[in-house]
Amino acid sequence: MAAASPPASPKRRKRIRWIDVQEQLTGYLFIAPAVLLVFMFGLFPIGYAFYMSLRRWRVVDRGYIGLANYQKIVGDWVGLLMFVAGFIVWMLAYLVWNRAFKSETLRGLIGKLILAFVLMAGGAFIGLGWGRMMATGDAKFLRSLPITFYYAVGSVPIQLAIALVLAFILFQNIRGREGFRMIFFLPYITPVIATALVFRFIFSPRPTSLANRFLEAFGMQAQKWLFESKPVLQILAGGDTILGVPIQGFWAGPSLALFSITLFGIWTFIGYNTVIFLAGLGNIPDSLYEAAEIDGANKAELFRHITLPLLSPVTFYLSLIGFIGTFKAFNHIFVMQEPSAQGTVETASIAIFNTFYKASQFGYATAQAMLLFGIILALTLVQNKIFGERVFYG
Amino acid sequence: MANRAESLTSGNVGALSTQKQGRGGRIPWTMIIMYLILLIGVVIAILPFFWMVSASLMTYGETATRQWWPSVPQWGNYAEAWREAEFSKYFMNSVIITAVTLTGQLITSILAGYAFARIKFIGRDIIFALLLSTMMIPAMVTMIPNFQLIANKISFIPLPGGSWLNTLQGITVPYMVSVFSIFLLRQFFTQIPWELWDAARMDGAGHLRFLIRVVLPISKAPIATVAIFGFISAWNDFLWPLLVTTTDTWRPLMVGLWTLQSEAGPETQLIMAASVITIIPILILYFMTQKQFTEGIAT
Repeated sequence: MAAASPPASPKRRKRIRWIDVQEQLTGYLFIAPAVLLVFMFGLFPIGYAFYMSLRRWRVVDRGYIGLANYQKIVGDWVGLLMFVAGFIVWMLAYLVWNRAFKSETLRGLIGKLILAFVLMAGGAFIGLGWGRMMATGDAKFLRSLPITFYYAVGSVPIQLAIALVLAFILFQNIRGREGFRMIFFLPYITPVIATALVFRFIFSPRPTSLANRFLEAFGMQAQKWLFESKPVLQILAGGDTILGVPIQGFWAGPSLALFSITLFGIWTFIGYNTVIFLAGLGNIPDSLYEAAEIDGANKAELFRHITLPLLSPVTFYLSLIGFIGTFKAFNHIFVMQEPSAQGTVETASIAIFNTFYKASQFGYATAQAMLLFGIILALTLVQNKIFGERVFYG
Repeated sequence: MANRAESLTSGNVGALSTQKQGRGGRIPWTMIIMYLILLIGVVIAILPFFWMVSASLMTYGETATRQWWPSVPQWGNYAEAWREAEFSKYFMNSVIITAVTLTGQLITSILAGYAFARIKFIGRDIIFALLLSTMMIPAMVTMIPNFQLIANKISFIPLPGGSWLNTLQGITVPYMVSVFSIFLLRQFFTQIPWELWDAARMDGAGHLRFLIRVVLPISKAPIATVAIFGFISAWNDFLWPLLVTTTDTWRPLMVGLWTLQSEAGPETQLIMAASVITIIPILILYFMTQKQFTEGIAT
């Protein structure tokens, strides 16, 4: 940079200082519009949301009420504490597992036993705490959290796996790669409202709907899809037990309605993930493959020991934004929800929206939103801690 | 001579390919399986769109049958959907909203992206990191305070002209910034050689002139990418316009489509026709600028 050359005389130094000040001002002026807007509509609202969450506010502000809104959500603070403590125990157990019990067999065995015990204890804490919260808190909102969890866990890993397969295939010598890529990307860019409306039609409970015709082709019974509040597992098992094990509550998993919405989510995002994976594959140097081939590695080994590790930053990035995305998801769930699904598709975002828009409880809705924000932050941190360590940055 | 060269190269290729086949010997099979998987992928990706078009041309009775394609295409459905619930107005609204949002977004992103890449000022990296961190904030948190702000209910931030509900500025201004765009443009602007700046400096140009005369002309590709993504997100946006439009005046297409769905109820063919109408502009843009898309997001 020309302006950064060392000053030769005091006179010159003075001029450079002036240029420097001018430079600074220009910089601030250039970023001013963007920063102002981000501050107004992105950062300030967080502070204001927190402020609102501490007040009784139904369309009109009725004054400070402290943590009462939060109290209403979680009900029992001890329950919340137990719940969180259970998760922290799990986290610690994971860290201990990684650090200490890797090599020696006897110590490893004892360690595993202790660890299993600790895990069970943590799980019990989580269950107990959750039970106390459900009994005294806002069960409707609390129930939306495992639903969001199902949606996230049901869609992100599957869409990543499928996208990786597609990207890997496209990366081989495939004729018409551009065409395939273009088609796979299509669902991602088309308006969600429009595509979600088609999926409403596809997953309609009519016996002639596309989804039911598909089942029919495999000799299966027609289903109610988006109108079905029963868990998928119970439908598959034909009752509420599998091999004598009862499937109820959290372990029964998502309803068929939520499952249908998850399928839509996967359909939408596969193309995006594929394109990013494809770019990631392109960045792996050929020389690595060649070297490994000379050493006699076969295709599977190449994939396992070169492709996967070198792709891990991309995978990590995609899973991170995937999880954040599912926790923020709103539009398509809003369009595809049906009263007959009995709230089994009501994710946290939908619940917050209903509290705000339908029930007009502004203060309470912001408290729910702040809680969701906290959960997203915590999850991001955990994901960073657990998977970030495994990412290989070359 | 040419023949020999050809045979030489083809000989080389042949040697290479036999070498490759020597390892597996089943390469054609794996190829067939790979194309099969891709084909299934294509069918799944396309089928809902095909179904949308097909159902949009059916009669009301046909939508409940097992037909894959209408016996007589009902093009009248499109006219009916267009007339229903003022779709032409919503369409124009969407066009204007998208254009205004996009213009604002491009101006703010280009300026900020340039400054973050090429001007040194105190706190630059911290401010940039702060901007990036806002990408993680769920819309649900900012939505309610922003609604209060736009409705002019926050006393210490008075809006010019009172409440912005049901106004163009109310829908567009909060979206006139995109951190993603700033990030993308900054990536590109940092790669522009400093010699260009030094030369411009000699000619007495400041940052603004350098940006407009030199940087913009060589940055057409990344700007196009940013513009396309801005267009799509503005066109597809639903939740915010739903909140801030209570009348038809500035209601965009997506909200109109949703209200049509709740009003038309079982008339699937009309809803599908309306859906096709909302998708067409995106499709045209997509097929025209295909390369910018997939290469743009991969950077």
